[in-house]
Amino acid sequence: MANIAVARIKREFREVVKSEEAAKCNIRVELIDDNFTELRGEIAGPPETPYEGGKFLLEIKIPETYPFNPPKVKFMTKIWHPNISSVTGAICLDILKDQWAAAMTLRTVLLSLQALLSAAEPDDPQDAVVAKQYKENRHLWEKTARHWAQEYAEAPKSKKDDEFYDKVSQLAEMGFDRHKALTALSAHEWNMERATQDLIS
Amino acid sequence: MSEADADMASQGSDPDDEGLSDSSYQDYSDEDINDYYNYGPDDMEQDDRGQIFDPEAFEYFLFNKEEACQFLDERVAELTQTIQFSPQVSHTIGKVLLQAHQWVLTEVMERFREDSVQLMVDCRILPPPSRAKQVEPPPKQCPVCLQAQEEKDLLSLACNHKFCTDCWQRYFQVQVEDGVATGVECMWSDCRLITTEDFALSILKNSPVTLRRYQQFAFNDYIKGHYQLRWCPGPDCDVIYMAPQPLGRKVQCKKCKTCCCFRCLKDYHVPADCPTIESWLRKCADDSETANYISAHTKDCPKCNICIEKNGGCNHMQCFQCRYDFCWMCLGDWKTHGSEYYECSRYKENPNIANESAQAQAREALKKYLFYFERWENHQKSLKLEEQTFQRIQHRIKEKVMNNMGTWIDWQYLLDAANLLHKCRYTLEYTYPYAYYQEGGPRKKLFEYQQAQLEAEIENLSWKIERAEQTDRGDLENQMDITEKRRLTLLRDFSES
Ligand SMILES: [Zn+2]
Ligand SMILES: [Zn+2]
Ligand SMILES: [Zn+2]
Ligand SMILES: [Zn+2]
Ligand SMILES: [Zn+2]
Ligand SMILES: [Zn+2]
Repeated sequence: MANIAVARIKREFREVVKSEEAAKCNIRVELIDDNFTELRGEIAGPPETPYEGGKFLLEIKIPETYPFNPPKVKFMTKIWHPNISSVTGAICLDILKDQWAAAMTLRTVLLSLQALLSAAEPDDPQDAVVAKQYKENRHLWEKTARHWAQEYAEAPKSKKDDEFYDKVSQLAEMGFDRHKALTALSAHEWNMERATQDLIS
Repeated sequence: MSEADADMASQGSDPDDEGLSDSSYQDYSDEDINDYYNYGPDDMEQDDRGQIFDPEAFEYFLFNKEEACQFLDERVAELTQTIQFSPQVSHTIGKVLLQAHQWVLTEVMERFREDSVQLMVDCRILPPPSRAKQVEPPPKQCPVCLQAQEEKDLLSLACNHKFCTDCWQRYFQVQVEDGVATGVECMWSDCRLITTEDFALSILKNSPVTLRRYQQFAFNDYIKGHYQLRWCPGPDCDVIYMAPQPLGRKVQCKKCKTCCCFRCLKDYHVPADCPTIESWLRKCADDSETANYISAHTKDCPKCNICIEKNGGCNHMQCFQCRYDFCWMCLGDWKTHGSEYYECSRYKENPNIANESAQAQAREALKKYLFYFERWENHQKSLKLEEQTFQRIQHRIKEKVMNNMGTWIDWQYLLDAANLLHKCRYTLEYTYPYAYYQEGGPRKKLFEYQQAQLEAEIENLSWKIERAEQTDRGDLENQMDITEKRRLTLLRDFSES
């Protein structure tokens, strides 16, 4: 069983490396070990989304029964998205679960994840807090997602984003962990008082 | 072997139940109720053969695997022989069509006559017409292993998505490993066609172990998918029930003795129907903490306040100190629990509740639930306690027989009485979830009336059985008749047909 998984990954690896998308720096795959059981993926944040300009790293684990079972994929780069856990990076996407088909490849997976960044499905959420914000206050969600991309995915910053930085810095100066402060602020509509309350309790 | 030859398990309740005396119907004196009440002592429903209609009668059979297999094959044969139009339907495709329709033959045939192609598309045997037209160039490699393959070594379903035999084989192995059999799909992304049994057979012909497991899982899928078949829920039991009319009625396995509702396989639950009992059990599980405090084995005598422990099933209590007769459930005077005025089982809703605050409404809803839950749970406990009574009676009879005080046959009526009590209280327990979900109106009034009558007679019976040796045999047997008649009347009027 393992033989076909390795043979498949080797071939797929070349397919991605040679692909058009790789040439445009949109997707990439790298090997982590020599057994081809663990890979590192990378996707570019799609244009006209809060993730634009960011680079998102993915942990890809290949099960022994691949390609008859899907690869196990999660985000290593922290991200604010309704279908991706802001805590663990776990992804809610049908093709990584019951809609997987053996004829799909890593390229299909990476392109599908990129499509997920462009079009969230808040009715099938992985992160309930993010999904709620997405549905109730889309503008604030966009700004928050943008901020996370800048903080963690090297997305370019602009002057008008300073407000959120100031708030995070203020909490960090009070001695709170920077990431915890950012998470608390994001979950409480950037309200300093409620975020502080959350951090203390 | 045809189904008629199969083991006929039951045709309703015991024949002994039928010799009911007419006298037990006399006390329907409440005028208000008599208006709704249609059955007098002389017009109990009778069928063509003049037999008394038994509300619990239920025809079912017990199959072993071979018999069930044959039963399924006969249904498929019936389908393929009846459909004489083109396209001809093979046995293996017939199975897919039936499985997709819970094996309701008439439905498949009707849909086939309407539009056979659409039926095949819906059952995922043919691709949607829009896709079927796309002719793709023959692939030079298998899209799964990405290895070059000769055209002749590639296999596909009707969708023409071709994969090599090795990949199909590995794919089936992984799917069977996960317990999937009848639902194994094409390996192409977003193609939903499913493989037939023949296809699996041709792929797995050289892997006998996987093939055998595939066939076991497929068989299991068919049993679970068939509207007339159920696996016996008993532990490790391989008996299959078959009921021509799949109703929420009692079935019992001869092999493992499990007794359950045919349709939902939970504990038998008339007069409540399957959805009712499902909601009720879910509610009880969700609210178990709220209801926990009720579980008390001791209460204080309402008159002299001495602590009384309940160690029998009967809810008619008598204080051992002051001799006061009271009701365990409501702690009211037992005198108000005569069969004419029995009110203890009826919940009195606040008629103005709609105008009250949301908080008051929530409180009322909780009160209502606890009222029914308390009674449901109390009868459950009584059933357990009465099992002990049964053991005690058995023991006493043994003693009497040993001391030459009659034979087992002489005392058998006591065991019959205890058995009947169990049956009646069991039904009574399930009247509470029924009443909880029943909407108000004349039907509910009638139901509550009959429930109260049944409960009063059951407590009388229980009281007499607990004092069996002081009770006259004729008196006890009369009480048995009355109680069972109440039970059957309630079921006749209120269980789904
Ligand atoms: Zn292949
Ligand atoms: Zn296909
Ligand atoms: Zn059984
Ligand atoms: Zn049921
Ligand atoms: Zn007392
Ligand atoms: Zn009472």
